[in-house]
Amino acid sequence: MDWQGQKRAEMLMQVLLVASAVAAFLAGYVRADFQFMLLVYAAGVVLTALVTVPNWPFFNRNPLKWLDAAEAERHPRPQVSAGAAAGGKKKSGKNK
Amino acid sequence: MHSWTQRLMGAATTAAVLLAAACAAASALDAFHVPAVQAQAHVTKINRFHKQINGNDKVTLTFNVSANLESLFTWNTKQVFVFLTAEYENAKNSLNQVSLWDHIVPDKEHANLQLEVKSKYPLIDQGSSLRGKKVQLVLHWHVMPNAGAMIRNRMMLSEFKLPDAYSS
Repeated sequence: MDWQGQKRAEMLMQVLLVASAVAAFLAGYVRADFQFMLLVYAAGVVLTALVTVPNWPFFNRNPLKWLDAAEAERHPRPQVSAGAAAGGKKKSGKNK
Repeated sequence: MHSWTQRLMGAATTAAVLLAAACAAASALDAFHVPAVQAQAHVTKINRFHKQINGNDKVTLTFNVSANLESLFTWNTKQVFVFLTAEYENAKNSLNQVSLWDHIVPDKEHANLQLEVKSKYPLIDQGSSLRGKKVQLVLHWHVMPNAGAMIRNRMMLSEFKLPDAYSS
């Protein structure tokens, strides 16, 4: 899942859950049946999980563009200087 | 980093929070529900009135109860517990409450009660103050919801006067 896909999945999850909670509450109230509210809500939660949990192709429409290898070689990583490397190794105290 | 288990956990947590919110809303709506309970109870017979060996007065009664509790039921009502108490004042306590009868109403279809009952529980005083005592019958009900707060209320019904002498 790419960055845009993650954002989209999060949004979808919240919107779908709030919508199913509101719909379930209204349906339960109108039918005067508390259990009906729970059933409608459970259906909404399962649907939301099916839509947002698996890594659907829908969430991979904006793949990350990596630099190609040639471009990376033209801008090498800064090397650690020799002096800093020697200072980092403090093995002398171990051999006392 | 963003794995399917993380998304599942996120969805489950949000779903649980919203379910709690829906339950709270259902309970809040019940607070605006105004029931119109109609009830009457009359003592038809005093079966036995005597003093127990330990010195406490004891009365067994027969009474009529008619109560229409249908208006207590909303979509968030699991059941209604209803009970009838005898309430009186004596030198020892400013309020004595003795439960005489109780009943569980499972649904609206069984909420219209018309009964003649021999008191389920006897009226026993803590002491010997019942002769000639004026006793108030009070109907109490506890509305037990599917989710949220329980609602309690009561209604004063008829008064009756116990005889001045024991019956046996």
